[in-house]
Amino acid sequence: MATTATITVSSDIASSALSLSKSKVIKKAGTDTDYAMTTGLTRITTTATANVVILNSGDTAGNFGATAAGGDVITKGKVYITNINARGDGSEWVHVLLGTVEIGRLYGGDFMFIPWDGGAGNDLELTPSAATSTTVEYCVFYE
Amino acid sequence: MATTATISIASSGILSNPISISKTMTMYKHNTTATSVDQLNYHRLELPLGAPTNYDLIPESAELNANPANYVYICNASTNDTQYVTISINSEVIGSLYGGDWMIFPWADTHTDTESATDQTGADSSIEAQAFGAEQVVEYALFHSGETLLTAGDS
Repeated sequence: MATTATITVSSDIASSALSLSKSKVIKKAGTDTDYAMTTGLTRITTTATANVVILNSGDTAGNFGATAAGGDVITKGKVYITNINARGDGSEWVHVLLGTVEIGRLYGGDFMFIPWDGGAGNDLELTPSAATSTTVEYCVFYE
Repeated sequence: MATTATISIASSGILSNPISISKTMTMYKHNTTATSVDQLNYHRLELPLGAPTNYDLIPESAELNANPANYVYICNASTNDTQYVTISINSEVIGSLYGGDWMIFPWADTHTDTESATDQTGADSSIEAQAFGAEQVVEYALFHSGETLLTAGDS
């Protein structure tokens, strides 16, 4: 049971090309133990411009984007999110928030991969910038 | 001029069927169809242990705020599975990077700055880091469209 995450970044911004590459077998926090739980690759579509909870650390009822009461509360994991929408003219995006704090914007075609510690006030939430249909995929490996 | 990032995630043995994810993105400027970001910073440093608290790993700035399509890569280049670095923004911990862990994410730098260049105590959207367990080597890259440079005070 192992999960490997690999990133490669290539850039010709500078006069010499930059190439980053890193691969890691991701583990539970502070251990050499593989993750045993995952959401799998999940796809959601919304026309809401209100916050959608992707990861519930306990502040919001629901789980994995659902708004119904109940569901698991997750602590710690690795999170992959991608905005499936087309980029268009770059004027629409999905805000990614940690509770009320915005991390960044996923424009159409963008992705992110982060460790997530959870805890009070740290629900991982998405807010589409426009009411046009927004499709997002995510996959979480968690403890 | 282009900067691309490709991620692949391969997982077997958790679900009854393996997970295989692959995605490539090009880092474009805000409000453009296909104009790539054109500036970058790439650093390696040794993050001291603990005190006093978080360090500004990537300071916010008005220029970064004005062009919110910034992309950040951070890697804990240490190898110890039990030692880690927390990555925070505006006092909220995003997550912990243990030895060998990496992350990549968009950074909008959206919060109002209340600090000055010589006083880092205010709330802002700087990317902050703190080492736990031991001092650790961190590498990070910022791909962006412009940052505010400090005016020299000794001219």
